[in-house]
Formats: sequence, C-alpha cells, structure tokens
Amino acid sequence: MPELTYADALREALREEMLRDPRVVLMGEEIGVFEGVYKVTRGLLKEFGPERVRDTPISEAAIAGAAIGAALGGLKPVAEIMYMDFLPIALDQIATQAAKMHFMSGGKLKVPMVLRTQYSLGRVHGAQHSQFFPSVLFQVPGLKVVLPSTPHDAKGLLKSAIRDENPVVFIESGMLYRTKGPVPDGEYVIPLGQCDVKKTGNDITIVAVSRVVTEALAAAVKLEEQGITADIIDPRTIQPLDLPTILESVKKTGRLIIASDDVKCGGIGSEIAAQVVEEAFDSLDAPILRVAAPDMPIPFSPTLEQAYMPNAQKIIEAAKRLIG
Amino acid sequence: MYKVAVPRLDPGMQSGKIVEWLKREGDHVEKDVPIVMIEGEKTTFEVNSPGAGVLRKVLFEPGMDVPVGQTIALVGELNEPLPVDAESQQTPEPAMAQQTTVVPAISRAQEPSASPVARRMAREVGIDVSKIKGSGPGGRIVREDVQKAIEQMKTQPAAVAVTTQEARSVPVAKTIRLAGKRKATAERLSYGFHTTVPVTITMDARMEAVLDQRKDLHSRTGEEISITAYVVKAAAKALEDHQMINSSLEGDELRVYGDINIAVAINTPDGLVAPVLPQTNTKSVPEISRSIRDLTERSMQNKLVVSDLTGGTFTVTNLGGYGVELFAPVINPPQCAILGVGRTSERPMIIEGQVRAASMTTLSLVFDHRIVDGVPAAQFLQRVKELLEDPKKLD
Amino acid sequence: MPYGADFKQQAIHMHGTHSPAAVGEQIMASGTARFETVKSFGPVEANELTKHAMSRERLLQMLRKMIEIRRFEERVERLFLQEGALIGPSHLYLGEEAVAAGAVGALDDDDLIISTYRGHGHAIAKGVPMKPLMAELFGKSTGTCKGLGGSMHVAIYPEKGSVYATAIVGSGVPIATGVGLALQREGKGRVVMTFFGDGATNTGAFHEGINLASVWKVPVIFVCENNMYAMSTRADYAVAAESVAARAQAYKMRSMVADGNDPVSVYLAAKEAIDAARNGQGATLLECMTYKLHGHGVYDKGDYRPKEEIEAWLKRDPIDGLEARLLKANLASQADFEKIEKKVAAEVEESLAFAKASPVLPFDELAKYVYVR
Repeated sequence: MPELTYADALREALREEMLRDPRVVLMGEEIGVFEGVYKVTRGLLKEFGPERVRDTPISEAAIAGAAIGAALGGLKPVAEIMYMDFLPIALDQIATQAAKMHFMSGGKLKVPMVLRTQYSLGRVHGAQHSQFFPSVLFQVPGLKVVLPSTPHDAKGLLKSAIRDENPVVFIESGMLYRTKGPVPDGEYVIPLGQCDVKKTGNDITIVAVSRVVTEALAAAVKLEEQGITADIIDPRTIQPLDLPTILESVKKTGRLIIASDDVKCGGIGSEIAAQVVEEAFDSLDAPILRVAAPDMPIPFSPTLEQAYMPNAQKIIEAAKRLIG
Repeated sequence: MYKVAVPRLDPGMQSGKIVEWLKREGDHVEKDVPIVMIEGEKTTFEVNSPGAGVLRKVLFEPGMDVPVGQTIALVGELNEPLPVDAESQQTPEPAMAQQTTVVPAISRAQEPSASPVARRMAREVGIDVSKIKGSGPGGRIVREDVQKAIEQMKTQPAAVAVTTQEARSVPVAKTIRLAGKRKATAERLSYGFHTTVPVTITMDARMEAVLDQRKDLHSRTGEEISITAYVVKAAAKALEDHQMINSSLEGDELRVYGDINIAVAINTPDGLVAPVLPQTNTKSVPEISRSIRDLTERSMQNKLVVSDLTGGTFTVTNLGGYGVELFAPVINPPQCAILGVGRTSERPMIIEGQVRAASMTTLSLVFDHRIVDGVPAAQFLQRVKELLEDPKKLD
Repeated sequence: MPYGADFKQQAIHMHGTHSPAAVGEQIMASGTARFETVKSFGPVEANELTKHAMSRERLLQMLRKMIEIRRFEERVERLFLQEGALIGPSHLYLGEEAVAAGAVGALDDDDLIISTYRGHGHAIAKGVPMKPLMAELFGKSTGTCKGLGGSMHVAIYPEKGSVYATAIVGSGVPIATGVGLALQREGKGRVVMTFFGDGATNTGAFHEGINLASVWKVPVIFVCENNMYAMSTRADYAVAAESVAARAQAYKMRSMVADGNDPVSVYLAAKEAIDAARNGQGATLLECMTYKLHGHGVYDKGDYRPKEEIEAWLKRDPIDGLEARLLKANLASQADFEKIEKKVAAEVEESLAFAKASPVLPFDELAKYVYVR
C-alpha cells in the first residue's frame, strides 16, 4: 500500500472532491499562490484556477461568513482558518450563524461547508499560534467536529466532511502534517461519528485524539512490556461522539484514560469522562483519568513546551496509577 | 483508649458470639455508632463504640464466644500506645444502658474503598464487599479481588460422593449467605425443633360476637381493634387457669412463670420478630390492640429494644390475613406452646339443625408434649374458644 | 409636502455636515476623487414619477407593499404593547417602508436577499406571505421557521429568495459576499441584496465583508438603512467617516445615496446598482437616508431623539408622500388607496387568526433540527 504524508493525504481528498463535484471551492489565506502554509493545497491553484482556489485577505470573519453564504447559495465551500488561534475572530460566523441556521430556520436552511484549521502545539510557535480548544466547538450544537490522527483517516474523513450537509470544523494537527502512513489507492470515505480502535488490549482503555494518538500507541508498546495491555481508541469525530465503542471497551477493561492536547479544565476528557460515568458507572474498576495539558497558556521556550505537552510517559504514569 | 466489651444483652446471657465486625482495624469510628454485631441468647444486636477515634485493635474474630464483660476491641487515637496485655483486659460488667437495635444495617459511608464494578459483582452474589481484602491502589477492593472471593466460595468443601455419576448441576440464580437475623432465627428454631415434642390440636371458634363488639367499639370510638388482640387476650385469660402451659422446660427444670407475657409474631421485611406484651392478662383488649400496633410500627422501623424481645411466656401468631385457615407453627423456644390463628371467614355450619352461614376461625395450638398432655392442652384451647365466643368474659 | 426643490440643502439640514451630497461636493472640489463619487438620488417630483421607465403599475405595487408593511407592523405593535399577546424582542420597520419597497421592488423574483432582525419589512417586500410571518412571531409550527427562529429571523424564507436573516449586527455582510460568490459562479446574472443599519458599518464583519466583496467583485447590493440611530447611539457620533456611503470608497466600491423615504428614489438607485451587478461590474453600497417612527425595539419609544427631529421626519412620511404625488400626477385616486387599505387590513387580520389557531411544535421533535440527517 502506498504511503503518503498527512498533508498529501489531505490534498488528495481536496483534489478528488473538487474533481468529483464542481461546487467545491476553496478559500483561505495563502492557500493559492503560496500553496498553503503547510503545503496542503499545493498544486491546486494551478489545476483548478483562481475561481475555485481563492486567496483571501486577512479576514477570518469574512472567510467564514463567505463560506456560509456560498453554501447558502449552492456551493460546497472548504474554507481554511490558518491557525486555530485565529478561529475566535470568526466565532460569530461559526457558532452563532452557521451552527444554528438549520435549527433556527425550522430545517429550511442548510450550510454544507467545511472549515479546515490546524493547531501547531509542539512547533514552538508560542502561546498565540499553538492553541487547541475543540471544546468551544463541540459545545455548540449544530457543528460537527472532526480530528484525524493518521493520513489514512485524514483523507477519508475530509472527503466525508465535504460531502456532509452540515457545517463541519475539521481540525488538523500541525505536528502530524509530515508524518507518513499507508493510504489505499482508489476511492474510500470514512463516515463521521465512528471511533477507530487502533490497538486492542484488556487491562485499560485509552481514548486519545489527534496528535496524542501516536503518543498513546507508543505508551501502549511500553506498557505491554510490563504485562499491561490497552485498547487504544481514536474517536476521530468528537461531535457526534461514538460513545458505544468507548463504553464497550470500558466494560471490558474497567479503566479509562482520556488523552488530548487541550488543557485539562473543560477539555474533551471532561465530557467523555462524564458520559462514561453516567452510562457505565458499574463497570468502572478505577477512577477515570485525563492526560491533558496543564491549565496555562503555552510557554514558548522549547523544553518548557515539551514539558507542557501530553506524551507517552504521562500516559504510562496515569496507567500505573489506575492499576497500582 | 476506649474498651469495647461484650454487654449483657439478654437477662440470662453469659457469653456472646461475635457475628460480624462492622469496622476494620484502622477505620475511624464515631461515638454511639455500631462497630460490631454480637449474638445473645435470642437475637443479634449491634454494639456501639463507646467513643470516637480509630479502631486500634480487634481482639476476637467472628464466630468466637466471648464472656460477658470481656473486652473485644480497643478504640483510641492513632498515636496512643496499646496496652501491653490488651488480650486479657476484663472490664466490669457494663450496664445495659447502651442503645442497641436489633436489625443490623451496614451504611454505605463506612465501607472500605471498593470500585463500582467490585461492589456490583459482590452485590450480585450476595457477598459483603467490605469483607474482601483489597489489592488495588490504596487497598481499594477491585474486580480481581471479588473474582477471587467468588472462586473461593465455589471451591468450599462440596462433600458430595465423588464416585457417583455426574449429577446435574443446577445454575445458582442467587447465593445469599446466612447471616444476622436470619441465621439467628434458623439456629434457634432448629434447636427448638430438635428438643421439643410438638403436638398440634385445632378447634374452630365462632367469631360473630367478636366481630360485633369490634364494630361497636369502632363506631363508638373510631378505633380499629385487631382480631389478634382478641385472641391474645383470650389466650392470656385462659392461661390464668392453665398455668402449666405458661411454662418452659430447661434441662430438668420445668419453670412455671408467674407473669403471663404473650409474644405476638410480627412479619418484617428483615424477618420474623416476636415482641412481648408484658402482663397481658391485666390489659384490656383495646390496650392490647394498641400495643400490638405500636410494636408492629417499631418492628418495621427497627426500633425494638431488649425489653420488647425478652420475657415471653406464650406466643400467638396470626396468618389469617394471608388467607391461611390452619397451620402448625413452630413453638418459640423455650416456651411450652404457641397458638396459631387462621382466617376469619363465613362458612356453612349446622346451627340448631339448619345450615346457616357463620363467621368462623380455626385455632391451632401446638404444645410441647414433654410438659403437658393432650387433655390439659385441649381443655386450655376449649377455654380460649369459649372466651372468644363470649368476649364479654374477656374483661 | 416639503419635498424641497433642493434635496441637497434639505439633506444637509437633516443630517448636518455629514450629508453625502455635501461630501460628494467636497471630494469633487478637493480634486481627490480617485474613486467614484457618491452618486445621490434625491426625491422624485410628482411630474417625474413615470420617467426612467417607472410604470403606474410599479408605482402602485410599491405603494401596496409599503401599506402592507405599515399595517402589519402597526398590528404587531398593538399585539405587543396593548394586547400583550406577543413576547420577546421585536424591531419594527415603521417609517422605513420606502427602502424595502423600493430596493426589493427593483429585484427580479429569482434574485436573493439577506435580511436582519429588523426584517418584517424585507420579508413582506420580497413576497413572504403574511400568514407564516405572523405565525412565526407567535412561535407556531406554521411560521416561517416553524417557531424556532422568532421575530429576528422571521424573514428566512428561501422559497421566495430570502435566504437568511441574522440577529448579529453586521454579520450578514460577509455572508452576502459568499452568496454573491455562488451567484457569480452560477453565471445566470442573479444578484443578492443585503440590508443593515448605520451601526453595522462600524463592525469588523462589515469591513471584512465589503472588502472581500470588492476583491472578488461579487454581484451584491449592500443596502444600508441609515436611520441615524443605532439604538440610542447617533450615527454622527459613532460613524467615524464622512458618511456611510463614503466608506465604500475606501474599498474601491461603487456607492450611492438615496432618499430612504421616497420609494422611487430608492428604486432608481437600486436599479442602477442591480444592473451593474448583473453585468459583472461588482458590488454597490447603497445608503438610504431614513428614520424610524418609534424606537429601536418595540418597547423602545425612542424619546432620546429631539422632538423637532421626530416631527420633521413625520412630515416626510413615505406613504403620505407617494400618495400625494400620485394624486398630483393623476396616476391614482383616493378610491384606489382605500381599496388597497381594505384588502391589506383583511390580509393582516386573516394572518392573525391563522397564527392564533396554529399549534406549537412538540418539544421532543426539536432534536431532529440540530443536524441535517
């Protein structure tokens, strides 16, 4: 099976969908001439022209708003917000407009748009160019929130997101763009709202998202050496969340760790933990632990950033605390 | 350092059997909160901690018989040194002033740390999760520990002939360990059954007069008098003239009691209790009815006290309310006899040569033939019937 | 009727030195007119009504629309204030009828509009029937949004080309730019018109939106209903520009000013903007000078405004103004007006009866509207 980088897998998804459906248009900062700050849109301007690959001014609110309007007008826009840190500038359009339009209009309006963004935690970009806060989005009913962790998942999920008739926020990981992974030839899509069990085990369940999936897999290898086996579950979509797969695993292992790059307070882990306690209390053999970033802005200094980030070692320590 | 000693729970109690420790060494305990269950002569009681602190030492394990007055545990602060010869401490007999209740209840908050799945598994097979040793972090009882405990239960001595063919194994829907009240009842009745020689005689009594008097009292005072109250008073009055039945046989000694204290069997969710109405023959039927109601309420709320449960000389049990006509109840050891009351219902009877409907109830007397013979027993029962059929004679 | 011969003088009097006409003159005089000047469309005299291919039918059509809006809004106001039958915020279009009637009147049926929370007027002008409009105000399942949107979103009616109405000031501008993009790609010559007030032109979304619209040269008509106040905040305080229309010049966008109380003036300006958009000549910012009869919301009396100002504008009532000119030019009679009024009154009452008799969506049906399944 051929291997692609995460960035190239995304590009293939965009390209395939643009070929398949003439309504798909891209818009964002630096996506055309510059070919994207992470080169995800390399070659697309050349192939599809400036009508379908639109460089925009620095106008996050207008980018998101124009995507909404284009969707209302019958197009299938894929807008890019360069860094998740810039997303709040467009938050009115995303959370107050797009997310609510279908409901507020009694089902009349549809906003089939994708908003791609990424978080660069780990690349020493500092506090304002590294943030990861999906909670802000999955707390807004009406949005779908997708986080791929591998090139294979990235391609399949982006295609599904583009075909979905709801507004989808597609969060990529800056650290993963250059990682490589197997991507099958030929057409395939991955449905939204489905977990992927990336490894199986019996002693502990580790739910991990985006970049942290690789950390969790590394932790699982080390834990196996000590006789502890883990289910590694990558939700891939956190809204809507595939809870049954997680519950099935927790009922088997009785122990749950949720690992993610957002800060602990109010993060993905908080929501998943609450749902699991509600639905599978009598299966828990130990408290639920979250491995997340500490509640502070991201420090610039490289070693401090490394210490800040969730990693395999922290996951292993959490596992030990659960098993004793 | 507080000493927890075996109290005298029954008048005749010489020693108590440790049934169950409700706290473990190292647990924090509060004053006047139960820490151990001890079985006396008749029933099992919770015994409270005399003070607040940490349960420093448990001196006797469950199953052991300990003389009244013997110290069985020490409660103190963590940093207090234990007395050198803690084992042989003897305290003067404590008064029965300790507040004890009959029905044990383990409250959630005092249980050792156990995970939710461990609790559930233990609950499903009827094991007390707090008795299992925890191997999880911080001594937490975890699933593995419960699984092991279940395995152990399964491998208890089976004592079946291994040479026979493979018998059909029946899946066990539920396993409940015999403990507490149930266990005490089982043991006591089993003992009684093996020592007494029970004989049953029955007699039917016409209840119209009782029903009329009940109705009349109700319309005058608004009070509901139970049928059981009438039977109890009738039995009490009848015992005045048949003292031999108001007795007990202990070894070679036949004790004829001076007081007539009728015990009334009451069914509670936790099992059967038979609280006592002292000097029943001196009380009026309405008074007896009220006492029965009060005892029933208190039984349901587990608020009976020692004096409620001791000193009975004869027992009345009424299953009429559940549709039973006739039954042979078990004598309440060490009493001589027990009177069972059946359902009051309309039956066709021959009255003055005619078939007529009459309100009847069947009285069943089970007596210990070692103490009385059939004729005196029958004469006693005859008297009870007479009194019921003419309740004016009751007062 | 004080339709002065000199609109410019009047505008200066009404709007102070921020009148666009005055500004236009200044820019011309200073010779710095690199961009298009603000083109002003003054009120149209009676004898000029039928110029510019303005037919009697169209004039009466615009009058009817204004009367529909006026009577509907008056009824809604009574439902709120006198009868206590309606609840929640509502922002009435009273006094601004000429803008909707004129601007929307210049669109084709398959052109699109994006409205705001002050959208009852736009909806009626675009042909949204009164029944679902009224039902939506009552939160009924037969409303334009099945009762899930309310007064501020009542204009959402894609069946008639009203594709959105937003309650966030200024947020419709970038969305309109996006709709314009879609229409541009469609290539059928359709245009989209969006409405907003003077306050909206201070928001980031407005500036981002019209900048992008100019960059992409999309077929959008941005109609600013300058009623001089954003709630109680005066435009001449908060708008740090010579005028709203002048702002467009900073974005290399065509801009116009019209008399927002004369539907004919608005119509003529809008027509020019629409034609330009249809011909691929990009967007226009059309500022309509108008005034609210009452305050910002239905409960706001608007008495932070000077009495003389209110009275002066009351004298410029758009419906009275058009009727007077139609009579003067012998294009219509009093009987014609009464006929319209009667029909409209009946329609309003019918819509009210319909709304009151309609049911509310059951609560457990709501979850299915969160996502498109």
